Amino acid sequence: MARESSVLIFDEHFYSIDAIQKAAYRFIHLYAVDFAHKDSKIECILTPTQEISAEGNEHYLNEFKKEVLDQHLRIKIKNETEEVRNLILGIAFSNSGLLADE
Amino acid sequence: MLKLGGKVIEIQSPGAPNSSLYSISTNKELPRILRATKAFLVSDAEIPEGFKHYIVLDHLKNLINNLPSNAEYTLLSEDYSYISNDDVIRISKEKSAIRVLYRANSPNNGILITEQCNHYCLMCSQPPKAIDDSWLLAETSALIPMIPRYTREICFTGGEPTLFGERFLDILRLTKSYLPETGIHILSNGRSFKSEAFTKSYASIEHPDMMIGIPLYSDDPAQHDYIVQAKGAFDETILGILNLKKLNQKVEVRVVLHKQSIGRLKELCEFIGRNLLFVDHVALMGLEMTGFTRANLNELWIDPYAYKDVLSDSVQILARYGMNVSVYNHQLCLVNADVLPYYKKSISDWKNEFIEDCNSCKRLSECGGLFSSGVQNGYSKNITPFC
Amino acid sequence: MSKFSEKKEYLLNNATYKLLPFKFDRLNSQKYVLTNLSGEFTVIENHELEKIVNQKLSPEDSIYSHLRSRHFIYEPADKAAIQLLALKARTKLSRLANFTNLHIFVVTLRCDHSCPYCQVSRQSEDKAAFDMTKNMADRGLDLVFRSPSPALKIEFQGGEPLLNFELVKYIVLEAKKRNEKLNRDLAFVIATTLSLLTDEILEFCKVHNIFLSSSLDGTEELHNINRPRAGKNSHQRFVEGLSKARLALGFDSVSALMTTTEQSLPQVKSIIDEYLRLGFTGIFLRPLSPYGFAIKTKKYRAYNTERWLDFYKEGLAYIIELNKSGIRFTEQYTSLILTKMLTSNDPGFVDLMNPAGIGIAAVVINYDGGVYASDESRMLAEMGDDSFRIGHIEYNTYEEIMLSDKLLDALENSFTLSVPMCSDCAFEPYCGAEPVYHHAVYGDAVARKPESEFCKRNMAIFKHLIELMHSDAEAKQIFLGWANRC
Repeated sequence: MARESSVLIFDEHFYSIDAIQKAAYRFIHLYAVDFAHKDSKIECILTPTQEISAEGNEHYLNEFKKEVLDQHLRIKIKNETEEVRNLILGIAFSNSGLLADE
Repeated sequence: MLKLGGKVIEIQSPGAPNSSLYSISTNKELPRILRATKAFLVSDAEIPEGFKHYIVLDHLKNLINNLPSNAEYTLLSEDYSYISNDDVIRISKEKSAIRVLYRANSPNNGILITEQCNHYCLMCSQPPKAIDDSWLLAETSALIPMIPRYTREICFTGGEPTLFGERFLDILRLTKSYLPETGIHILSNGRSFKSEAFTKSYASIEHPDMMIGIPLYSDDPAQHDYIVQAKGAFDETILGILNLKKLNQKVEVRVVLHKQSIGRLKELCEFIGRNLLFVDHVALMGLEMTGFTRANLNELWIDPYAYKDVLSDSVQILARYGMNVSVYNHQLCLVNADVLPYYKKSISDWKNEFIEDCNSCKRLSECGGLFSSGVQNGYSKNITPFC
Repeated sequence: MSKFSEKKEYLLNNATYKLLPFKFDRLNSQKYVLTNLSGEFTVIENHELEKIVNQKLSPEDSIYSHLRSRHFIYEPADKAAIQLLALKARTKLSRLANFTNLHIFVVTLRCDHSCPYCQVSRQSEDKAAFDMTKNMADRGLDLVFRSPSPALKIEFQGGEPLLNFELVKYIVLEAKKRNEKLNRDLAFVIATTLSLLTDEILEFCKVHNIFLSSSLDGTEELHNINRPRAGKNSHQRFVEGLSKARLALGFDSVSALMTTTEQSLPQVKSIIDEYLRLGFTGIFLRPLSPYGFAIKTKKYRAYNTERWLDFYKEGLAYIIELNKSGIRFTEQYTSLILTKMLTSNDPGFVDLMNPAGIGIAAVVINYDGGVYASDESRMLAEMGDDSFRIGHIEYNTYEEIMLSDKLLDALENSFTLSVPMCSDCAFEPYCGAEPVYHHAVYGDAVARKPESEFCKRNMAIFKHLIELMHSDAEAKQIFLGWANRC
């Protein structure tokens, strides 16, 4: 009971494996995570690495799901801001930080 | 409040052009060769010959008979009894008017470069006029050489002085030439300096003591743009400040405090500390009750007593960032004690007054007083003399 | 009146705002903390995050103005925001180009104390075995002046450096001589217990503007337990030495560092009080050293992190109360972090740098000529692990040392922006790479951050400080002063 695996299923249509893996990494101190692919679903098998109560497990699994959503947002932000980030850092590392004269 | 301009009682100068500048002398022993460029201020019956023009105040009008024959003169009302040696005035024959352009005894000499402006600030104390007043540039070019070299500082204002571009920079070069020991303060919205080329030209003047005072009224660009009534103003002003500091030019940020700017004042100070730490000075300034302020009183007026804690917090933010801060144009009884190290008596002498209640105040000499326009048009209900 | 336009004329319409680069992490169960490209933070409610990212905010929302002015979002015409972010980013990184500032010379391992937590000192009279030679000192100075940094700090450590004061004198005089033509800003510090100060030593320090850095672990009882000495009077000798040094060199010429042991953990207030009593204006609440605990279990380490965090929070709360009542007193680790949170400056603290401070910010030249990438690297070596020994001062060139694989690999592999979890972390701007710690405790320079006590400790501190600033305006003002004094 105390070290039983839980399975979370994510529909490929809405979730990216990238985001799920990054979320899994953040829980690496609590769970060892396996992945499997069935039809268009991503399966996460989470096995606790230490003794954990049923409530504790439920709490962390909920946190895991929230983290997956957070990771999706992170990916979105990264993609949308890639261009302006390069622009800013380009200016930061150039000799003059000024706009070309208009 | 001093009257700096208005109608004269009488002018007699048939040979002079319509508009003339005169430097005032009270020196009866002035070498004759120098009298040809000056106007003598008559004080008694002893009137030396050879001056270009004579100034007579109303209470001495009977002395007109003592003037040298064919002398040109202007008769002025007692409003102008403050005029003194080395002052510079303009006499306009057509309009029968005088304007005092420079006062030797005053620490606050402002020279108007233009009344044109690309802003339309809700609280503008010098409402813009969309006319070609480039004649002001020509006049300033004539004025500068007449200003005495011991003048500590002069201020160029507008409107927006930089609208004249290089011609304004020429005025600065002229000033550096004729008044090498005089500090220059320029009031500008800074937007012209978004041009790197213009900034380089400005920096190449290499003036040892020149600073631009640039207003920023909010950290929220939309709010700043609203206050100055110009879209994109905030953005260009910041770019201008960055260009100026990149070339090591002195920049002061000025914030006029009123209902529209007080709401985000702390956020603005955090913004300045975080983004504009290299600015040389920040001035937090009380509102002047003149010009457009009166038209927008509902949007603008807030009793300084009501915001004194916000002011204290804001000053602390800037001070802890290690910036130079001053609080201008506030009455001593309306600020908290922790603001005192930054408090300055700042109101230009000619428009600086107190109200009657102030006469019994023990700290009158430490107080900056009010704007004359404030005394006239409205001031805080919380002004209380110190006992 | 009719000539003036209303506020809404100046709000964005016919277009939508765009995101500027930012990271986020949970602050607590109700809030997120966001950090932008220059490390500025803001706190939002949970439900606001999704709205922000999916461009559902309206220009009339107050959070919109807030995020726009703090450079989390921008409008297409906002060119100034881009320039300001670039300027702030460049300011933060500008210290890197100066390269190594701190050079530690371990002039001897001999010591008059035998502190149980010290990894290095030797109770010995054998100078030949445990003292640095003049030749090593000369080669060491060659290395120092190879650094391009305009400011160079030379710190003497040991053992007890005063036991080899002749060499200290030599290095100071030689460094100054070489600097006559080079004109760097030289600073000297001696890390000493103060128990062996003589008038001659003080005179030399006075003439050459040398600062003293000493150890004060707490009250007399705690200090003497931590730092045994023949005569059992370490604290007393410290206080006497402190007084003498201040008289000779100036009140602020002596600083104190504490070492935190398990015995310190329940006593933070009395330790702070002792610092106050002796006239110090700040304290550095250092973490428990991992060295020596490396053999302990994972659980024990986690337990210690929790206990240390209680120690830190209690100490910080007490210090904030002192400040609120008008006493100027800072906590130095907090100040370093606050500088990163509230300004664009980088305090250059070795343990909180990315890329890691090893070699880049500090370098250690040991009594035996070994060159180490940091002080911790040397301690690791004394425990038998020379992973961060990057060369020998007499047998390797500057290039061989500073470009050694050991150093470069550690720097590259631990680079936070490339490492899992750190690269996404909202607190990354405040944190550091710390390869030596992770290597010592977890076996590799990167380790798994969710398992790392370094990560847990620092993240708890970051969240704690942000929550404090968010809820206590007076504390925030106090912190602003600390941040700008660094």
